[in-house]
Amino acid sequence: MLFLIAPAGIVLACFEIIPILIGMNASFRDWSLVNPQRTWVGLKQYVAVFTDPVFLKIVLPNTFLLMVASVGVSLALGLALASLLNRSFLGRAVVRTIILLPLTIAPVITATMMRWSFNDQFGVITTFLSYVGAPDIAWLSDRWPSFALVIMTDIWIWTPWFTIILLAALQGLPPEPFEAARIDAATPWCIFRRLTLPMLRPVIIVCVLIRAIDAFRTFDQVWILTGGGPARSTEVFSVYTYVLAFVDLDIGRGAAAAGVGAIIMLFVGGVLYKLVNRSVEVSR
Amino acid sequence: MIALALGSLRRAIFAISVAAIFVLFVGPIVILGVTSLRPASGVFYIWRGTNFTLNNFVEVLHQSQMLEAVWNSFVLSTLATILSLGITELSRFGGWIQRSWFATIYLFRTVPYISWVLPLYLVNTRLGIYDTYLGLLLPHIAVHVCFFSWLMKGFFDGINPSMEYAALIDGCTRWGAFCRVALPAAMPGIAALAILCWLSTWNEFLFVLILSGKRTPLITSTMAQFVTETGTEWNLMSATAVLAMMPALLVTSFGQKYVIRGLQM
Repeated sequence: MLFLIAPAGIVLACFEIIPILIGMNASFRDWSLVNPQRTWVGLKQYVAVFTDPVFLKIVLPNTFLLMVASVGVSLALGLALASLLNRSFLGRAVVRTIILLPLTIAPVITATMMRWSFNDQFGVITTFLSYVGAPDIAWLSDRWPSFALVIMTDIWIWTPWFTIILLAALQGLPPEPFEAARIDAATPWCIFRRLTLPMLRPVIIVCVLIRAIDAFRTFDQVWILTGGGPARSTEVFSVYTYVLAFVDLDIGRGAAAAGVGAIIMLFVGGVLYKLVNRSVEVSR
Repeated sequence: MIALALGSLRRAIFAISVAAIFVLFVGPIVILGVTSLRPASGVFYIWRGTNFTLNNFVEVLHQSQMLEAVWNSFVLSTLATILSLGITELSRFGGWIQRSWFATIYLFRTVPYISWVLPLYLVNTRLGIYDTYLGLLLPHIAVHVCFFSWLMKGFFDGINPSMEYAALIDGCTRWGAFCRVALPAAMPGIAALAILCWLSTWNEFLFVLILSGKRTPLITSTMAQFVTETGTEWNLMSATAVLAMMPALLVTSFGQKYVIRGLQM
């Protein structure tokens, strides 16, 4: 049956495994627009990436902040929405369809939408905020407001995903423990904390795992919303690598940065995988 | 009396939160839609109504490579979906191969896209397929195959093998049993995957940004051109965004059931 796996294997080898090997090779070379010789320089590029203050002080904190904030908040919101939608009410199907919208729209479009809505002078939301009397915030020209906007966009995109999955998990839970709890006159909050959450735990962990890995490679939203600016202050890992390789045209350094990211992610992914396996076993 | 008041209060809070969800998720899309219908001079009147026109759409469709980009994206997404499903389908067999296959796939899921799309650019230029559709299609297939092998395994495992055995006893070949029994049973799941695959190719940006050039305009790269150039023609950009959104919305509204199913896998 080896030949049946072959087509997929060949595509994977040619367009993932070989590129990664080539990238590793490139990361040991001084290969840029000003030096097309591709001389072998050993670990120099990695050292350069690891001693780059932009990478250490801005890119890494931003990437992990985005990961934690986006996954955390969208999990919380998704959980809240899922428990809200778990009851039956008129128009539930409509609300559920609408919740799907952000997931099916390209992040590029979402980011454009947000950029326009938060435009400093004409944006609907900025205008609305000043109308209500909120202090003026330069959404796209300061570090933290623009980064907050990036995180909000990410949350807007990913909350539905959590909602849909958690809703399915909620509807799959057995009704008996809840009935028993209601007979014992437990408060809704108590039921949620002591029953719903522990029973949803495996699903939540898997969701967080998948999303955390994906959040690390966020690119579209950041690139369209801020382009990494103002003054490189909202760059995340993917944007940093992209800028090195395709704007500064320093392929060697870009490949080294990409390699660093891959290593970090393999490590984080491995730890998360272990964690998931263990806690899912425990909850069984 | 108090209980009644509490009940209606609770119902009011519930209704308000549902309405808030509605506004939160639809609001930005409505803003975009309204902007796309405003003439260039009317874009900045936010609260005041101006006349609405369809000129933006006309202009966008005439001006840039818009129609070409839409068509290209459509063909690319469809081809990527069909081909990667075809390949994944075949990869369901095997024992130890399968185990190492899944380990590999998990490994590759953790690697950030940028880490292999950058060397992929080098590969594509070396192979001479940079800025061609083949060069965009094959990497997409590689991504989807990774993702799908994992999920496919899930639903084929969920099918009771005794049905397949029954088919074998009744005189089907191994392949015939697969086609006639396992495949139809897995069909809803496959439909869900196909829709998700199509949407993700349609929405893909990083690959397009790096692997496509002037000869291969796609919908997301056309969008991005508006964004980076001047950033002032909001009406045209919104019109482009609305155009790019349409097929995705159509697919979602028709295949809602499958999209939800696919997300849950």
